[in-house]
Amino acid sequence: MTWPAIRTILDGAVVTAMLAAVSILLSLPLGLLLALLRWRRVPVLAGALAAFVSLVRATPFITLVLFVFFILPSAGIQLDPVPAAILALTINTAAFSSEIWRAALQTFSRDQREAAAAFGLSERQIFTRIVFPQIWRANLGPLISEVTILLKCTPAVAVIGVVEITRAAGRVGAETYEPLPPFLVATLIYTALIATLVRGQRVVERRIARRYGVTR
Amino acid sequence: MAEIDAAISVKGVCKDFDGFEVLRDIDLDIAPGTTTCILGPSGSGKSTLLRCLNWLEEPSKGSVFIHGKPIGRIGTAATARPMARRELATARTSIAMVFQHFALWPHLTVLGNVVEAPVHVLRRPRREAEAEGRAILSRVGLAEKADAYPHTLSGGQKQRVAISRALAMRPKVILFDEPTSALDPEMVGEVLSVIHELAKEGLTMVIVTHEMRFARDVADTIVFMEGGCIREVAPPQAFFTDPQSERAKRFLTRH
Repeated sequence: MTWPAIRTILDGAVVTAMLAAVSILLSLPLGLLLALLRWRRVPVLAGALAAFVSLVRATPFITLVLFVFFILPSAGIQLDPVPAAILALTINTAAFSSEIWRAALQTFSRDQREAAAAFGLSERQIFTRIVFPQIWRANLGPLISEVTILLKCTPAVAVIGVVEITRAAGRVGAETYEPLPPFLVATLIYTALIATLVRGQRVVERRIARRYGVTR
Repeated sequence: MAEIDAAISVKGVCKDFDGFEVLRDIDLDIAPGTTTCILGPSGSGKSTLLRCLNWLEEPSKGSVFIHGKPIGRIGTAATARPMARRELATARTSIAMVFQHFALWPHLTVLGNVVEAPVHVLRRPRREAEAEGRAILSRVGLAEKADAYPHTLSGGQKQRVAISRALAMRPKVILFDEPTSALDPEMVGEVLSVIHELAKEGLTMVIVTHEMRFARDVADTIVFMEGGCIREVAPPQAFFTDPQSERAKRFLTRH
């Protein structure tokens, strides 16, 4: 493979990494927010959010991408490919991760929460000081697994013209009539990205275990 | 009148869970600086009454006063309104609680558990709170565990941490909800002796317990409950040697 061909794929990798990073930073907190709103059982809103989450979870990701890019403009929301890709990834991962957060909130120790309330901590403090520090640690595995799924969803945004790793590899293959080398490079890059995530998860988990013993 | 002198004053408290009456019209005054043990068969409403005192359980009717100040609901009968969350949280700072299953926060160290509320609720300077926290921990024999995490402790140690956490609030009242029921028998003694020490210091304590001998030794007043009602309030000597109610007599012969 020539250097420019490799450059093309690396440029794609930068796009993929950027899409993933921004979507992760937006979707995990958004998922938590969805879970909190549903958990608080705010009338109407909780029901609407539950329906929204079910709908998104049932929609194939590629359909969601097409919807954001081609249907939202008719509602007056016109997005360029990259923002549209980020929005679709964010909605998707927010919906899935909200189920993880929701389960964590529902199963959180009632005793601990009661103790915090009995000692005068406010609702907000109970969440930020007692509940959250524990649930993110306990759910690091499922959350990271959601993030790797997000990463593997990114090739779907090629349908709206975003050139990420897979699309870039495809182009190189089409130009050189040798699809194997570029796709091998693409696979290596995906593996490296996911290995980095999983490695990060292990490091954090090991630190948690050393400190607090078994993480539930 | 009584509600101003009393550390805790309970007036006409009723509690039902989905139509099932757990507490029926409870009136009780607890004098400051005394230790009160609430005894009674299981299901008699002891723990529910205790949990009504800091409003962890909201009575269906009635009011609770801590040193004359209402908790949970303000005003009487017709004009009563629920306290705002913030007001309730503030009111709760004068009443600490020790739970049956410890309810320590596992992501915080022992000292972290002890200073959490003093620092974040009472807004005491951390350094000061930590110094006081360490002093309290050494009083209950856990000085060297200050930086350990709860999962490394035995049940008896955990409960002593929970008691330290309560003391660190410098509360007017400490509520104990079956503090030794979740402990292995050999650890009951260490927890009871700590509570016994506290009783000598003039804290107001209310203890739901099944430990009869302990209740007899430590209590100034025994409250005997059965069927959601208070059947007897008496000094321990009188209660254990000459219980007035038929139900208390039967209860004592079984324990």
